Amino acid sequence: MLEIKNLHVSIEEKKIIKGLNLSINKGEVHALMGPNGSGKSTLSYVLSGKDKYEIDDGTIEYNEKNLLELDVDERANEGLFLAFQYPMEIPGVQTSFFLKTAINSKRKYLGHSEMDALEFAKLMKSKAEELNINNEMLKRDLNVNYSGGEKKKQEILQMSMLSPKMAILDETDSGLDIDALRIVSEGVNKLRSKENSFLVITHYQRLLNYIKPDFVHIIADGRIVKSGDYSLALELEEKGYEEISKSA
Amino acid sequence: MELTLNLDKIQSDNVSKYAKTILDKQNPYKNFKIENYKYAQLHRDIKSETLLRDIDISELLRISKNISSLTSNPVDLASDLNLWKYKNDDSFFRVSSLLKRDTSSINLDLIDDKNLFLDISQINENIHFFKSSKNVINLIIMNSKSNDEYPKSIFFDISNDSNLNVIHFNISNYKSFLYFESNLQDNSHLNFVSFQSDNIHTRNEFYASLNLECNFDLFGLNINNYGVNDNYSFIQHLKPSSSSREIFKSIVEKGAITNFQGKIYVDSIAQKTDGYQMSRSLLLDDISKANNKPELEIYADDVKCSHGSTVSKLDEDQIYYFKSRGIDSEMAKKILKKAFIAEIIESIKDDNLRDYSNNIIESLLT
Repeated sequence: MLEIKNLHVSIEEKKIIKGLNLSINKGEVHALMGPNGSGKSTLSYVLSGKDKYEIDDGTIEYNEKNLLELDVDERANEGLFLAFQYPMEIPGVQTSFFLKTAINSKRKYLGHSEMDALEFAKLMKSKAEELNINNEMLKRDLNVNYSGGEKKKQEILQMSMLSPKMAILDETDSGLDIDALRIVSEGVNKLRSKENSFLVITHYQRLLNYIKPDFVHIIADGRIVKSGDYSLALELEEKGYEEISKSA
Repeated sequence: MELTLNLDKIQSDNVSKYAKTILDKQNPYKNFKIENYKYAQLHRDIKSETLLRDIDISELLRISKNISSLTSNPVDLASDLNLWKYKNDDSFFRVSSLLKRDTSSINLDLIDDKNLFLDISQINENIHFFKSSKNVINLIIMNSKSNDEYPKSIFFDISNDSNLNVIHFNISNYKSFLYFESNLQDNSHLNFVSFQSDNIHTRNEFYASLNLECNFDLFGLNINNYGVNDNYSFIQHLKPSSSSREIFKSIVEKGAITNFQGKIYVDSIAQKTDGYQMSRSLLLDDISKANNKPELEIYADDVKCSHGSTVSKLDEDQIYYFKSRGIDSEMAKKILKKAFIAEIIESIKDDNLRDYSNNIIESLLT
């Protein structure tokens, strides 16, 4: 599904990612953990295709395509989804309108006709209910005056409606209370299947109690320094980043 | 009879003095540096020779005749105060339109329909509207493909307790110089929306006088213009407890220049005035320009007045967010532009008119 080889990335001449390798197969959930400034968010932006990041070396293959050759919207329509740590506020654009435009953009890209209004309304309603998002919120401007938790739920709603093949969750747990964390995790777990994969980026092991990963990677200074299974997250919780990174 | 003659004499003397001053000192065709016309670049379209030379007595009489048609009470007219209707800020457009054009009156109380559609580009005269009934009337003023040499004036006299909605489509004009004057009597309301698109050289002046407890909303939208698009507003609160709300939005591209200059004037007795003025411009490229100049002039001490102005470009991070959800950048930009102007379209209260306006604007939005 996703194959990152020897990735080197810099921003304004500053090297952030320094030879990162990561391979995610269909149906797998990978967790990426690391301290502040280790390159976690940079990796998520690079995967989604945000500009101003300089790819100095390496390759990223996604679904047998060269990911780096695709524009941001093409990557999204090919099934790559990034749930943002800080979702943008879009004043003047109604949330439901945004969702509908996103869904129809993808359908157009795939050569399908637009989703009819009734079908869309049904889909949105059922997905929103799963995430405990009320109807009133869908009529509001996208992310404007949303609480931190509501913004994160909105990201997961977008994800579940677009049903991506490869979803990257960038610190989706930050700013969530226990209840919201459970609801969001359930939303993610519902999407888990043999067909799609996840990369869950987080500081804390807590999220992984809810979303059990198949693999855990620890990133430090732009490289993956240790990989293992779920027990690595528990070990990390106990020992901290510094000790784990040292022993690696 | 004798009294009338005397009044005529006083009137023409005052009018002469008044008109001469304005046509001389406030003449943007003669002097490019007049503050109120600073960005309008009127000299670019200078063809109006009569606006450059000194005018003769017969022309002054025409102004005088025109002005007397604008007021119901000739005694008021004789006073200097009424001639200088707008405190030290009377419009050259007003005077020159009265010099060059006759003025016709339309009584909106006699209109049977709720909506009145009027194409002013087909009418050579200035137009003076009266409204005194409480019926809701939507007046749709169309101005299109004009190539006017002289300013044209549209006056609104709204009597006590009356109200009026005006929608002005100023579209595809080569040259158009319009003066709107709204006189709101006690407890009256005027909602004015002006759409401007696909023009080459335009200036619109919006002058309004507000009396006791009346309310004036003025919304302007400039999109997809070429050349110079200039908007000037002067709103004077003369009596207590009136409110005005002004929002102008412009999307400027392809080397166009869009200007907004607006002043709120609050008289010393106009306590409890509530005035709001905002102009926002979205610049889409590096060769276009937006000039915004909001002003307040307040002589009362118990008022609420605010103004603001912004110039920005489309937010790259917002576009990235759209793209990350599969929406291409062309579509994202279009949605963001629509979002920027939505407030103006939503200010139209009548559902049918709002849909009608929205369709026109959508077809003009590139």
